[in-house]
Order: sequence, then structure tokens, then C-alpha cells
Amino acid sequence: MSNTMEVALFQALLSGLAVGSAYALVALGFSVTFTTTKTLNFSHGEFVSAGAFIGMSVLLLAVGKPLTSTSFGSVQPGAMVQLIALLVTLALMGAIGWLLFVLGVRPFARRPGMAWVMSTLGFGVILQSIGLAIWGPKPVVVPGPLGDDVIRLAGIGVRPQELLMLGVAVVVMLVFDHVMRRTMVGKAMRAVAHNPGVASLMGINVSMMMVGAFVVSSALAGLSGFMLAPIAQASLFMGLAVGLKGFSAAMIGGLNNARGCVIGGFLLGVLESFVNLWSAQWREVAVFVLVILVLAFRPNGLFGSHTVEKV
Amino acid sequence: MSGLRHLGASVAFTVAAGAGAAALSNDYYLRIAFMMCIYYLCGAGMNVLVGYAGQKSLGQAGLFAAGAYGVALLTIRTSMDPWLALVLAAVISGACGVVIALPSLRVKGPYLAMVTLAFGIVVEKVVSEWTDVFGGASGLFGIRSMTWGGVPLTMLQWVWLALAISLLTHLLIRNLVSGRIGRALLSLQADEIASASVGVRVYRAKVMAFVVAAVTCGIAGALVAQQNQYINSDFITFHLSIFILLMVLFGGVGNIYGPIVGAVLLTVIDSALSSWPAVQHFAYGALLLFALFVMPGGVMGVITPWLARRTKRIAEPAPCSDIALRFSDDSTGELLSVQGISKSYGGVKPAQDVSFRLQRGQVYALIGPNGAGKTTMINMLTGLVRPDSGQITFAGRDAVGMPPHTICSLGMGRTFQNLRLFGELSVLDNVMLGRHSRMRGGFLSSLLALPLARREEALARSRSMDLLGLVDLAHLAHAPAGSLSYGLQRRVELARALATDPQLLLLDEPAAGLNPQETSELGDLLLRISRMGLTILMVEHHMDLVMRISDRVMVLDYGVKIAEGSPAQVQANPRVIEAYLGSDAALPSVETIAA
Repeated sequence: MSNTMEVALFQALLSGLAVGSAYALVALGFSVTFTTTKTLNFSHGEFVSAGAFIGMSVLLLAVGKPLTSTSFGSVQPGAMVQLIALLVTLALMGAIGWLLFVLGVRPFARRPGMAWVMSTLGFGVILQSIGLAIWGPKPVVVPGPLGDDVIRLAGIGVRPQELLMLGVAVVVMLVFDHVMRRTMVGKAMRAVAHNPGVASLMGINVSMMMVGAFVVSSALAGLSGFMLAPIAQASLFMGLAVGLKGFSAAMIGGLNNARGCVIGGFLLGVLESFVNLWSAQWREVAVFVLVILVLAFRPNGLFGSHTVEKV
Repeated sequence: MSGLRHLGASVAFTVAAGAGAAALSNDYYLRIAFMMCIYYLCGAGMNVLVGYAGQKSLGQAGLFAAGAYGVALLTIRTSMDPWLALVLAAVISGACGVVIALPSLRVKGPYLAMVTLAFGIVVEKVVSEWTDVFGGASGLFGIRSMTWGGVPLTMLQWVWLALAISLLTHLLIRNLVSGRIGRALLSLQADEIASASVGVRVYRAKVMAFVVAAVTCGIAGALVAQQNQYINSDFITFHLSIFILLMVLFGGVGNIYGPIVGAVLLTVIDSALSSWPAVQHFAYGALLLFALFVMPGGVMGVITPWLARRTKRIAEPAPCSDIALRFSDDSTGELLSVQGISKSYGGVKPAQDVSFRLQRGQVYALIGPNGAGKTTMINMLTGLVRPDSGQITFAGRDAVGMPPHTICSLGMGRTFQNLRLFGELSVLDNVMLGRHSRMRGGFLSSLLALPLARREEALARSRSMDLLGLVDLAHLAHAPAGSLSYGLQRRVELARALATDPQLLLLDEPAAGLNPQETSELGDLLLRISRMGLTILMVEHHMDLVMRISDRVMVLDYGVKIAEGSPAQVQANPRVIEAYLGSDAALPSVETIAA
């Protein structure tokens, strides 16, 4: 009896970590743009959905099915095709991130009243309606690159995509961490975050850094959508919840601390997975309550640093 | 437009709209008219929140749901009168508004916007997944609605009811934002720190704005539920939240007519495109971006300059002479005592066991090299920064831990080193904001435009004009404060601080950026103000000004008070010379002096 309980808990932990890595990627995306530009993409969730659908479309085209198919049938795209689909997704999402910055963020970043909140929201609404026009509202089952057969690990069943997602996310985050802390580009980005004016006087191309932040952030959202699609189903509405939880993760960890955001993502994924064992309905509410609690006691997140406004 | 003319015009407009609706025979068109009123209600409250208080709510659908499901459950599960249920639904959504506003105590800006978004999503999830109570997608049937003489309302009567409620809402909101409360909300949007320092209770004002937006949105939701006699989770979507925000932006944010224009135009667009949902959503997104790019002031922002400027400026009373401007009685004695105050930020210690006392009616200067902790001292006195230890006693009260607005109303006024004016407000409004804490009229008297509120408004206006006369700016009373030159802005800030009726005036580098001529004029002005019974503590680097007007000078260096005395004593003090110029072998060492 206690054994099945342990298995259930362990299984919940593992799938929580897998979903949490998606949240962590999204949270990282929020953190990147917030630290460099002091703005956020309020339609980050739509970007997650877009990533899933772009990846899915490339896979569909590669196996010779029309874009609007709602299922892959028995066809299993090969590893090479999956890799190409991933690269195309990252490239396209990066380009969309660039577009978002140029159209939706740069013109409004300095305007009072947070006009960029509305402009990024509007951009997301447009993106979603374009998606609806192309693919329609139906969800699509997407095959994972390692197949969908459940693997047995010490008595617990794991889907290979979950392990893959976890692995990819961890690698991406380690690379990101290394770049931010150990390379010139990372130093330049942190300099822009600290003070764009001074950074530009030091010869850093601030505008390019900001574009870069949005490209990276959108590509991360695309990556998380691409990896999530085989776990959940690809749906144009999947992103909203993921985006929101990614932001919650960022708030829990501290929006201005990239490592904190990642930890927040995993924390949230695991919490959600455990609450799910007990009651599926209260999952969302539990997440929200956690965010409120963190904000009440540590408004800058668990790992965020406090910024003092100079008077 | 004056109050009565506006009232007449609003009633006439509503009656005309009602008569127009009577001419519509088709239920479909009547429904569109009804929805215009509904969306207007949502937008009107949202406008107070977004346009005045400058807060974003991306979760209005959640409040709409609170009203709609509130009225549904009340009328289905109890035998309550439908009218009463409508009122209670408004109360319920108001309470939800408080819940959304709670995080605003701790977080601001994008964080808060995201919290409101999360609220909307959570409500959406709850009403669609908690089917036992809310019925989910199949919804709740049998909502009881109002009757007229025992007969259910016809569609035309529903339109009339919605029009009447909209009219009432418009009039009340106009009252609310046109006086003390509206000014406070606008100041909040511009600069919360300055707002608190002139006595605005920042947090309470934000909560109030959220509640106003919640109540109007809840009433709208309740009316929809009662008119349909049915509600399901399909009504409550994220797109509704976006739609409400878009309507306010598109109509003209911060303009009381904006939501009317926005509601009418967008409801028409919405029904025209209702057969193509994807196009509809695309249109919302595109309109949102269009409005932001092309007309940040919305439709009203485009129209207003084209309308003839018929509004006549109210003739301002001429500034009176100094005699009427007294700041305190001629009492003497100790006004402020600071005992062993310390503050550190990690290794930086801007205050280490600093003590001093201020006597009433004197002019004090606080000097010291850059980084000595002078501004931090002012921030601690005014409650913006909490000292780590030590005591501050102001006018007999322990001031440590008091919020800035309370300290302001106790009689401490301040200016800022880097000007913190409300740039888009007029010079007069800036100064009138200083009167905020001295005006008694609260939410209700503003909302209902009670005589008390009007009388106080007139008094505040004349007092503010007097103060503008004092700083010689009466002729610029209606210019936006941000458009003035630097030196003039400093004087506006001084007038604003004086408007709070301070006993102690704290000036943080009042002469920074002024030329010698202006500095000398400032000196004269400060001496005049001092003679009106005000105690002044100023932080200043212009030594000629300091030496000319101060009675006593205190010197800080690295958070330590190193000297205090008359200007001449301080000028001769070797420790002061050392702090400013560095030590020199020719000077006796500090130890020798101490000994």
C-alpha cells in the first residue's frame, strides 16, 4: 500500500519536474526581457502556442500531410525531421520576437502608463487569431521524437518526452547561465540591464542587446511549446496557462534573478503535480495562492534582489 | 462645462437615446443598444482605474463574472427580490475588487497587471470547472429578473433601465474625478512617492479605484445575467477582459466621455463581425495596436482639440497679501527631536547615531559632502525610509514607522532633490494636491458632490492661488507643471509643500540648478516664509545661501554628525574643513580638537 503511494508520489515528482521545466523556460524568457528592457511580453503564452504549432506544421509538411491535419495517424517523423522542426521553430520564433520588439515594445517602452502591456497583449491577440485562421481551434496530438511508449523506471512509468524535455531544459539553462555569467555578451546584457545609458557610452549596442533579449525570450517560449506539444496536445489555447504559470514562477523565484526563475519554474511544476494528486480543480487556485503568499512576504521573489528607488 | 449644464446635457442625451431606442422595432438592434450600455458600464469604472489611477487590470472578466454569478446564485437559491440581488451583486464584485487590489500593497506595475490577469484566468477556470456550483459550460438557468408591475421587462424596458443606470454612473463618476479624489488618483499615476508626501493615502486610493472598476463591471455582469435569465462560463473569457481594456483605450483613456465613445463604436464593430470570430479577435488586436500607435488619447483625444474651446477659465481670486498666510501660531519650543538615529544599506551607513533638535521658527541647514547621508535623513524624517534604530519625535508624536501621508498631515512638508512634480497636471492642480490632506471631503461627498466637497474645493483653490502668488507664479497657474523651466518648477514644488500647511518645511537642495540671481531670490523668499512662522530644514550645497539665511548649521560626513552651530562657528570648525577639503598637515588633527 505504502509502496503504491511512494510510486505515485515519485511519478508526480517526475512529471512535475518535466512540466516545471517548461515553466522554467518561460520564466527565463520573462526574466531576460525584464532585466534588459524593463518590459515583459504579456502575450508570452501565445508565443508558447505558436512554437508548438510551428513545430507541428514543419513535422506535418515533412511527413507529407497538409498543414491543417488534426492528427499524424500512424506516421512517426524521424529524429532528423524533429531536429529540423526544432531549429525552424527556434528561428521563426526568434524572428517573431524581433517583430514584437520593433512593433510592440520599442515604440512604447518609454511611454508612461505601461502602454507596452497593451501593445504586447494586442500583438498576442493578433498572433492567436492568425493561428485560429490557419489551424482552427482543434487540438492536435503530436508524436514525440523518442516515441510515446511509456518507459518503466524502477516501477514507475515515464513518458520519454518528459525525460527529454527535462534534459533539454536543463542543458539550455546551464548554457544560458554560463553565457550570462562568463562571456562578454552576457556581461554586456547585464550592463544594459543595469543602466542602458551608461552601457551605450561604453560602446555596447544597447538596441541590439534589447532585440537580442526579445529574440532569445521568444525562442525559449517556442522551445517550451515545441517540447510540450507531445506531452499535452498542441492547442492554440495551451499557451495562456503555461505563460501565466511561467510568470508565476518568475514572480516566485524573482523576476530579476534568472536562476531564481528556473528554480521557481521547477517548484511550481512539482507543486502543481502534487496538488493534482489530491484535487485537479484546485490546481490553478493553489498556484495563485502560492504566488500571493510569496508576494505578501517576499515581494521580490524568493531569490530576487530588492531594488531601491532613489528619492 | 459647469455642473448644471452638464447634468442637463447628460439627461437630454440619455432621454434622446431612450427615445431613439423606442423607435427601434427590432429586438436585435435593441440588444445591441443594451450591450452598448453594458460595455459602457464596464468601461466607465475601468476608466477611473486605468485613466485616472494609472493601474492596469487585465482581469475585468473575473469581476463581470462575480456580478453575473452573484446575481444568478442569489436569485436561484434564495427568494430574494431581484433588485436587491442586483445591489448585492454589486457589493460582491466590489469585495472581489478589494481582493485584486490587495497585492497592490506589495507589488506595482507589470507585476500587478499580471496578478489581475491571473485573477481573471482563475475565475474563468473556477466557473467552468466547479460545475456543482457554477454549472460550467451548461450554465445556470432560471435567474430571476426584475419586473415592472408584475410583468417581466420588455427588451425596450431593459434598454431604458440600462440607460438610466449608465446615466447615473456617468454623473457619479464625473463628480468623483472632478475634485479632490480625481486629483489624488491622477497624482498616483504620475508619482506615488510625491503623492504620499503631499498626504495622499496611496494604497487606499488604489483600492478605491479598483473597487469602483469592480462595482460597475459587476453591475454590468449582473444585468446581463438577469436580462438573459441565464449565464454560463462562455461569457467569462480572457477576451472580455481585453475587450473592456480596448474599449477604454480606444474611446480615450482618462476622459470621462471616452468610455461612451468606445462602447458605442466597439459594440457596433463587435456585432458587425460576430459571424467571423477569428476576424473579430484579429480586429481587437489590430485596433489595440492601432489605438496605441496612432491615437494614444483615443477617439476623444483626437476629437477634443477640434471642438471649439468654449470652456471658460474660472476667474481666479487675486492672491492676497502675506498677512493672511500664517503657517503656525507664534509658539516656541522644540518641534522635532531626533535621537540616535542609524541606518545602513549593507556597508554604506548614511546615518550613524545622529541626534539633533529643531526649535520652532528657526532656519536650519544640513550640509555635508556628497554621500554624507543628508537626503537619507530627510527621507527618514518624512517616513519614506525607515531608520534601523533611533527615535524621531515630531510635534510631540513618535514619527518612526508612520507612513508618509500621516507624517505629512502632522505638519511636515517637503521638496525633492530631483523634482517630483506631477508633470502633466497644471501648476494649480499640483499645489491643490498639497491641500489634499487638509480637505475633509471623502469618497461619498465627492461622489455625490455634496456642498461640503464643493465648498472645500473653492477654499483649496483660493488658498493655492495665494501660495502661487507668494512664489510669484499666479500667472502660470494653468500651465502644465512639466512645461515650466527648471527654476520655476522648483518654486511650484515649494508652493505645493507649503500648501500642506506644514509646521516644518524640509527642502532638499532647493537651489540646485539655479543661477546666482535665482538663488538670491530664493533666499529672500525663504526668509519671508520663515517670518510667517515656519520652521525650515534645508539640505544645500550653495554655501552663500546657507550662511546667509540659516540660524544654525549641522554638518554630516559619512553618516556622522561632525559639527553643529551658528554659520560662523561651523565655517571655522577644522573637522568641517577637513571633511570638505581633506586633511592637511597644517591643520591640527581631529584628536587634538576633541581633546
